[in-house]
Amino acid sequence: MARFDDQLAAVEAGDSEARGITRRGFLIGTMAGTAMMAFGLSGTAGAASDSASQSLTAGRYEPTIWYAIGPDGIVTVHITKAEMGQHVATSLARLVAEELEADWSSIEVVYVDSDPKWGYMVTGGSWSVHQSYLPLSRAGAAGRIALIEAGATLLGVDPAACHAREGRVISGDASIGYGEIVAQVGLERTFSEEELEKIDLKPVGERRVLGTQGGALDVPAKVNGEAIYGIDVTVDKMLHARPVLPPTRFGSRPVSVDDSAAKQVEGYRQTIELDDPSGVCQGWLAVIADNTSAAMRAADALKVEWQRGDSYAITEADIQAQGRALVASPSRDNGGLFVDIGDASGVLEDAGRVVDSTYTTSSVLHFQLEPVNATVVEEDGHWHIHCGNQQQSLAVNMLAKALEVDESRITLHQYYLGGGFGRRLYGDYTVPAALAAKALGRPVKMLFTRPDDTRLDCVRSPSVQRLRSALDASGRVLASEHAAAAGWPSAAMAPAFLAETVENGGKVDAFAISGADHWYDVGAQRVWAQQNHRVHEVFVPGYLRSVGPGWTTWAVEQHIDELALAAGADPAEFRLGLLKAEGRNAGQAPHSIGGAERLKAVLNRAMDKAGWADRDNLPEDVGMGVALTFGQERHMPTWVACIVRVRVDRGDGTITVERLTTVADAGTLAHPDGAMAQLEGSLLWGLSMALHEGTEYGKGKPEALNLDAYTPLRMHQVPEMDLEFVDSDAMPVGLGEPGTTVVAPAIANAVQHAVGVRLRDMPMRAESLKAAL
Amino acid sequence: MASFTLNGEPVSVEVSPQTPLLWVLRDHLGMTGTKFGCGIAQCGACTVHLDGAATRTCVLPVSAAEGAEVVTIEGLSENADHPLQQAWREHQVPQCGYCQSGQIMQAADFLSRNADPSDEEVTEAMAGNLCRCMAYRRIHRAVKRAAEITQAREADTAGVGIFDPTRAQEVTHGQV
Repeated sequence: MARFDDQLAAVEAGDSEARGITRRGFLIGTMAGTAMMAFGLSGTAGAASDSASQSLTAGRYEPTIWYAIGPDGIVTVHITKAEMGQHVATSLARLVAEELEADWSSIEVVYVDSDPKWGYMVTGGSWSVHQSYLPLSRAGAAGRIALIEAGATLLGVDPAACHAREGRVISGDASIGYGEIVAQVGLERTFSEEELEKIDLKPVGERRVLGTQGGALDVPAKVNGEAIYGIDVTVDKMLHARPVLPPTRFGSRPVSVDDSAAKQVEGYRQTIELDDPSGVCQGWLAVIADNTSAAMRAADALKVEWQRGDSYAITEADIQAQGRALVASPSRDNGGLFVDIGDASGVLEDAGRVVDSTYTTSSVLHFQLEPVNATVVEEDGHWHIHCGNQQQSLAVNMLAKALEVDESRITLHQYYLGGGFGRRLYGDYTVPAALAAKALGRPVKMLFTRPDDTRLDCVRSPSVQRLRSALDASGRVLASEHAAAAGWPSAAMAPAFLAETVENGGKVDAFAISGADHWYDVGAQRVWAQQNHRVHEVFVPGYLRSVGPGWTTWAVEQHIDELALAAGADPAEFRLGLLKAEGRNAGQAPHSIGGAERLKAVLNRAMDKAGWADRDNLPEDVGMGVALTFGQERHMPTWVACIVRVRVDRGDGTITVERLTTVADAGTLAHPDGAMAQLEGSLLWGLSMALHEGTEYGKGKPEALNLDAYTPLRMHQVPEMDLEFVDSDAMPVGLGEPGTTVVAPAIANAVQHAVGVRLRDMPMRAESLKAAL
Repeated sequence: MASFTLNGEPVSVEVSPQTPLLWVLRDHLGMTGTKFGCGIAQCGACTVHLDGAATRTCVLPVSAAEGAEVVTIEGLSENADHPLQQAWREHQVPQCGYCQSGQIMQAADFLSRNADPSDEEVTEAMAGNLCRCMAYRRIHRAVKRAAEITQAREADTAGVGIFDPTRAQEVTHGQV
């Protein structure tokens, strides 16, 4: 089974090897009066010849300083993750503060730039808190130990007689603040990797920060206009640019450019053709002006004759036809096996009763509200890229190819992201800005208009999935085969993230198939991931909030309902029967401890809250449907049950979600208020994609380019919501994405319950339902 | 030359008259709290007050603001203490935060005309502002809360001094 952790570790290892860095041990030293808490380099912790402070001061190593304590007691936590609405800095700082026994009011955060010492920089996959939990908790604990030791010496007592609380080392009535300790004696301590791993984290009952209420650090600046996003950056002498995108993503080129009308725009300077050795910008132009408005208006006035790339003729229907062909006869030529348990094909062949269904999803836009942009300045041969970005390490790599300079000559400076949702995992938008700055020899700020942004968007690939399952006479599931065809984001952007198949040889994009490896016991099981190459001819398929589970859950959770109906069973009871915490579904400590039992528990709780028992007594044309998800990946399961009640208008086919009930078990909540915001936002994203979003690719671009045609959920479309987290002290898992996946299948199942029509294509449009009625 | 009053100060900018007010504010006057989202007045991120009325500035030529009173998020209050800003913090409304200046400016105009709105009125007033993070429920609660804060402050000013049990309330919406 593919593990995203392993893939990320492999990417990180490759990255670190190239730079000669391994993160062993933990180094606490004092530099310029400030205590630095750093993960050291290989051998650092064991190098007896130098003190930690000597190593730090000499710059002999390039340590990754995760946090520092100043003589004023201020604890500065370095944040390597993108702040895009998930309040990640607050969660990560809470991890440190908990074990450090810091005073929360003394915590400050700094969002770091793309210095390679931070390792592979990526914010996605709902990974941040889960993956940071142990390292940052241990880093905090190591700091506390060092502070207690130093503090005890200053107090003239035995460290064993001391404890730390709210930024002070305390022994009986005497105490000393962290800042005073740092100011008076500094800190000097190293921990080997082994010692670090042996540190016992605080018992759950003694937690004072994790799981408690409290605000997010980034909120105050976001209510008074002070928060700075990429779009807000200004640098001296910068020119403004707007890209002119060719009619297709690949293979177009401008034949002639007439800027005579553009010249009438005050502030217009020139139009340049971008020469991109990296191949990101094929046939692009950039309009250069003195200000944003002039760049926008001049680009509109530009007359360009294009030679179009071949993909101009490929439509979404062509893409989906290819997808249908792939799932009809999946093969190793176009992907591979993601799950293979028992002889699913054999059982299906011999089965008396087979439920065979095909599900589709259409293209979905990120539509992060801040259009992509970047400001680029070159100084003494070093390129400074100012923007909000979710995968700095990849962007730097792309920029190095485009600018034909070494990666060491590029630094990305991070800002608040006006929405990420996976869009800014791909730094393609930084490339044209850098190329323009290079061509002009001046700083350039390039801003995409909304339609520009949509045309460059790495949209969520359309998908086609076929599920076939065999039932015996008693309604027991004997076997299930699932084939999913879509564009593969990792293949398009970051092939290092491709995963091994479960067979010898071959790769699959786990991000495009995760979710199909669900926790239901369906007997023999086979899952095929198929790469739809037509997608890749037309655009770059992207990671969009929840990625693959966004479509696999749509199919799996409807299919389970279809099986329940075929078996004559209640869909929720049927699910409970398929969830057994045994064998591969038993779960593993610490990440998936409890296994399928925890999914069962959230379902039971959601059924109680939603009044599932009264499901058969609902008014006419009102239905109740359920769907479950385990989030992004089996290795990091977030257990979620969602029940929706819908009302169908038979006159026009409109579906109204009246009530949405969700119970989630995400283990320990580092920042409960932020967790609730993520759950709520992700569920509404799910609702938005289910009923209000979706577009189709054609003529080289998405049909809907702006809000006049693309219609994400608005306030009046928000249903009544009843959300609950399970009180759990298990390992924290992901929260940004899991909620997005369950709402659409729950709605489809509810519509079936309400009016007997099964909608297998997402988005679910009123016209389709009306036609089916 | 375009001239208007920005957050109480007279300003004049040498700029072509069809330049949208948004870009005059952002590019020429350095007021970046007001955001650009869709460019077709459909998302509300660019909302400011023009002579007191919530106005989308991405499609409004600066010539239409000639001589007007323009207030942006930066000028909404002295110390970020407008009842809406207080309510926004209490309810931890922003996620990515990009739309929030527009949301707050939209709500400020609305509350100035409707001091005690119903749930439905709040929804209707805010339906034109897109929040891509979908923080709608918190936006809704915070607008209602701001109405309470305003009333309580007015009562204080009037020397009436009513007890407001919600005022000292901690953030509780994370608890269910």
